[in-house]
Parts: sequence; structure tokens; C-alpha cells
Amino acid sequence: MKNKAEIYILIVEDEAGVLSAIVRDMEYFEEQFPIEMTESVEEARDVVKNILDHNGQLGLVICDHILPGTHGADFLVELQNDEKTAKAMNVLLTGQAGLDETIKAINEGGLKHFIAKPWDKDELINISIKLLTDYVIQNENDLLPYMKLLDQERIAAELHKGSRLSDR
Amino acid sequence: MSGSIVGLSPFKFAGLCVGIVGFLLCLILPIPGLYFAGKVTLGIFVMAAVFWMTEPVPIFATSMLVIFLQVLFLSAQGPLFQNSTLPTYTPIHLDGNEWRIANEAITEEGIIIILENGRQMPVLVDSYYSENGQVVVNSNSLNDGLQIVADVSHRRAAYQPNSYTDFFGTLANPIIILFLGGFMLAAAAVKYSLDKNITRYLLQPFGERPLPILFGLMLITAILSAFMSNTATTAMMMTVIIPITAQLKSEDLFKTALALSIPVAANIGGIATPIGTPPNAIALAAMTKSGAFVSFTDWMMMATPLVVIVLFISWLLLYKLFPPLAEKINMNSQGGFLINPKAITLYVLFAITVLLWITENLHGISSNIVAFLPISGFVLVGILDKDDIRSLPWEVLWLVAGGISLGISMGSSGLAEWMINSIPFGSFGLITVIVMFSITALMMSNFLSNTVTATLLMPLAISLVTSGALGTDFSLIILGLVISISCSLAMVLPISTPPNAIAMSTGLISTPDMARSGIIIGLIGIMIVISYALIYWPLFI
Repeated sequence: MKNKAEIYILIVEDEAGVLSAIVRDMEYFEEQFPIEMTESVEEARDVVKNILDHNGQLGLVICDHILPGTHGADFLVELQNDEKTAKAMNVLLTGQAGLDETIKAINEGGLKHFIAKPWDKDELINISIKLLTDYVIQNENDLLPYMKLLDQERIAAELHKGSRLSDR
Repeated sequence: MSGSIVGLSPFKFAGLCVGIVGFLLCLILPIPGLYFAGKVTLGIFVMAAVFWMTEPVPIFATSMLVIFLQVLFLSAQGPLFQNSTLPTYTPIHLDGNEWRIANEAITEEGIIIILENGRQMPVLVDSYYSENGQVVVNSNSLNDGLQIVADVSHRRAAYQPNSYTDFFGTLANPIIILFLGGFMLAAAAVKYSLDKNITRYLLQPFGERPLPILFGLMLITAILSAFMSNTATTAMMMTVIIPITAQLKSEDLFKTALALSIPVAANIGGIATPIGTPPNAIALAAMTKSGAFVSFTDWMMMATPLVVIVLFISWLLLYKLFPPLAEKINMNSQGGFLINPKAITLYVLFAITVLLWITENLHGISSNIVAFLPISGFVLVGILDKDDIRSLPWEVLWLVAGGISLGISMGSSGLAEWMINSIPFGSFGLITVIVMFSITALMMSNFLSNTVTATLLMPLAISLVTSGALGTDFSLIILGLVISISCSLAMVLPISTPPNAIAMSTGLISTPDMARSGIIIGLIGIMIVISYALIYWPLFI
């Protein structure tokens, strides 16, 4: 029986081939973080609603910019403006976002990182590790379950200076 | 899925139910040999033990509940005792040693409670028989005019209620203040990176080869955890070893040795000083209350030689079990001590405090008093601020206070004595008793909190020693050390201690690896504890 709210990774990418490539690269996290893949913002909204309804939380969004219907940057702004998803970390993974959209994603969508296509697998994983580490340190009380996959040194340092764990 | 109603797992929910039912049963059922207060205390003991084992609520919350229940049900000012007076009765002299008393004045076992200068003395009569709804007893302990308790089932029977201040006061017990001083030192050291800088500095002489580096890491971890919490020390040392493990090949077993060495050394290091780890506080408080005084210096002289040996053996063991492939390890020892007025004041106060603690026997100023130097000093100088004080591990102090408080009632209600009497310790001999307490503590604290284990066992040790079953020469200090040190030697499972949990979370260790080293170190450790208890510690008594 799981009492803890699981932390989800959401990937939004309209090209099926690219989507499965991202998911394959992100497999590393699956052991601890369930990964949801969606092909449009409309679909992503449903998935986010479903995650929240089932007591889950949105930890990381990796989003393409050019999508059918709503664009990625606008979706990030949407998430940022909803208090239930505002804490989620986000990455804009795109080849085609112009300066204006990028600025909007940064200023209004709280964009944490921008990766240009084609991406490098290690870069994607390292950025995701950093952002998820930020997320759990900021939002989770018990950090131990996340230590194995995320930045161990930073989590250990946080356990050291924080008062989350003590002798018992 | 009844458990989901309160959001607990079925195991914890069962623990919650069993604890509450156990409490009520102890109150309701007749328990031979226990008077009312003893039954209440047994109820609290059972509920606390079940809650501490199954953790439907955090362990410190159980400790707070213990204090609350004691104040409510066992204190002189609580609703049960504030207006109650002990019913007394003067036995009627019949003939020779024969006296007539009321039916309710004698227990089924034939015990009457004689009042002597306001104190209640349970006495076993030689014989008794019923006559016309009254009881005739034969006892040479009775005299003309002597009063006895008229109703042995009365709540005050064989119990002089403690003042509620006794229970509340545990949070200001001098040992708690000593720990608070330790917490302040640790918090300041962490805030100013003193511990990490000391580590970097002290690691330098250990060079680049795996064997000495492993020893250096373990030695420094043990030294730091003797003065800081084992958990905080482990977390800090993990930040040191994680970059080292990253340079080793994935098949190099030495990664496991490194990751295991830290919790092992932290658990062992906590033994070295009174403030090293909370079970020490439970043992010290119990010893002090029973008049067996142990100074900071005494404790270190008795415990540190043991720490050194166990640490040394653990070092060789880990090296043997997980030998390195790498011949050279790059140690990044960059960074330097902070140099600013506050940091320097911290270094000075830190050094003075530790020095005064260690040398308590030379100057005679209690370490509990010295503890107030960092407590007041750090806030006066602004080394620690309001937020730093708020984030001290207060729950640990509550946990220890609850343990001390439970011990008070176990003594004063006669519960601990009753428990001890139900096992014929007197016939076992000293060695058997020491082995039993040591192994029990080791086994329990592998699954339970070390502090809780000490809390449950210490009151029994006190009663056993004061009962004289082990001989009048035997000191509580020895049994206290056996219990608290055996608790710290439990490191078989990730749940055994928070340092183990941290190390396991890195993914560098498998559970069987931890179990294997933990079992060997635990067994060797208690063998050393037992031999110290028989040979070395008696030299100090």
C-alpha cells in the first residue's frame, strides 16, 4: 500500500518517433518516477488532471514547443498559473521556438531549462536529475527514496544541513 | 481496508488497535502481584511498546503521549489521585502473632501493606485464613497501633504518586540539557561547515591508497559522530564518499566498503561519549537517578577503548569483504576553514566546550553545566539565530524525555520490580544476565529505535540491580553501558538506524551486504561488550 503521492514525469511531443525516443532516453527514471507520454496539450491536460485526481503530483514536464492546438510555451504558462502544478519543473525541448515564445516561457512559464533539438541523451538525463532533485528537495519530506536515482551528493548535503532526519 | 480510514497501513493500524486494547486490558484484568498503579503503568508500557514497534504515530509522538498519560493517570495532581486518600485500618490483635484484618486488606498472595512513617511496606504474612467475612493473619511484622492499608485494590495501594512536575520535568533533565548543548554544537558546526572542513583536513594524511583512506574515513566519522548526531555525520560523510565512488569502476567492490564504512563508523562512534547518541542519554539518566554517577570523562574512559577496537575490526572486515580493485584514489581536499569573527568565535567555543567535557574529572564542573556554554554562547554571539534554534531536532529530546519519564513510573509503581521478579535472574549468575541484556538489546534495536530499546530495557536493569539479585557489589553502571552500547551495535538492516537507511538509499549497497557485515560486527561487538563488562568496567566502579 502506497501512502506517498507519486511524482510523475510528463512528456509532451507530437511526433510519435521523437516521443518514443525521449521516453527511451528517460527510462532511467522509471524505477521511481512514473512517466506519462502525450502527443498534444489537450491530451496532456487530461493526463495532468488524472494524475492530480489520483493524489499524484507533477514533478517534471518535458515539452515540445510546436504542437497541434496549444503551443508548448503556452502550456507551461498554464501549468505555472495553476497552484496545483506550479511547483513542477519544466524543460522546453524544441528546435523551433522563437525568441518571443522562449521569453514568454521563461518569464511567465517559469521555464527551468531549454534544450535544443537534436538533444543529447546524457544532457537530457543530467538536466532531469538536477530538476527532479530540486523538486524533491523543495517539496518532499523524506528524501531517501529518491537518493538512488537523483543527485546523491546534493541530497546527502540537504540531509546534513536540514533537520529532516535525526538519530532515533 | 479498515486501515485506510485513518490513512495507515494494515500493519500500523493493527499496531494502533493492539496498543489501545493492550492498555485497556491491563487496567481491567486482574494481574497477580501488581497493584493499581503498577497495572496502569503496565498499560502505558504495553501501549507505548506496541506503538514504538509498529509506529502508527511517530516514535516521539508516542513519547509525548506517555508523558501525558502519566500526568493524567499516575501523578498526584491528576484526576485519579488529586482527591484520593489512602484508606487505613488498624489490625485487631487476637493472640500471639495472630491479627484480624478486613477482607480487602490482603492480596490473594497473602500480602498486606504496612504503613511505617507514612511509607507503604508490602509484607508477606506467614499464613492467613478467612473467618466470618474477615481474615485472620499470622505475622510477626505487626505491632499494636500499627496501621495497614485497608484496601489493597485501592489506587494508592503500594504507590506514592509522583508529582506531575517529575514527568514534565524530564524535558529539562540535566542529561537533556547536555544533549541540547550537543545539538547546538552540531548545528553551529554544520552551519559554518566546520565538520566538513575538519574532515577534509584530517583526511589529508591518509594519502591515496584505499586501505588507509577507508581507515581515515571511518576514524573521522567515528570522532565526529561522538559529538554530533550519527545521522548528520553520515549525511555529511556521504557527500565526501560519493565523489570517490564515482571514480571507481562499476565492478569495484570497494564502493560497497566505502558506503558501508560510514554508517558503521557513525553507529560505533556514537558510543564514545554520553552525547554521542540518544540511548546513552537514557542509560545516563537512569544511572544518575539511581545514584550511580558517571561523568563525561568516566564514560569516555570506559567506552572509547571499546569504540577503537570495534572500529578497527570493522575496518579490516569491510576491507576483507569488499576488497578494492583500484590502487589509487584521488581525494579532493579543496576548501578551507571559514575565517570571519563569528566562525572564529564558534571554533573557540566549540573547542572550549569539548575540552571541558572531556576533562570533567579534572575540573569537576558538570558536563551538564558546561553544555550551557554553547547553548547561551552561540545565541549571544549570533552564531545561531532564531531559525537555527527552531530547526534543532527537538523531537529527539522529547523521545528521550518520554523514555526517562516512563522509567520513573516503572520504578515508582513497582512495575519494573514485578517484571524482574517474574524471571529468576538471581539463579542465572552475572555472566548470563549480562549476555541476556546485551543480546536482547542488540536484537531489539535492529528492528526498533535504539532509544526505544534502551527505554524499554533500562528500568528492568535498575530494578534488577537494586533488587540485589546480582550481588550487592554489582553496579548499575555496567548494565547501563551494556544496554546502551549493545543498542548502538545494531546495524544489520536499513531500518536499524537512520545512518544505515541513508547508506542503503545510495544504491551502492545491497541488503545482504549490509546484513552480512552488520551481523559480524554486531556479534563481535557484543562479545567485546561482555568481556569489558566482566573485566574492564568493574575497574572503574
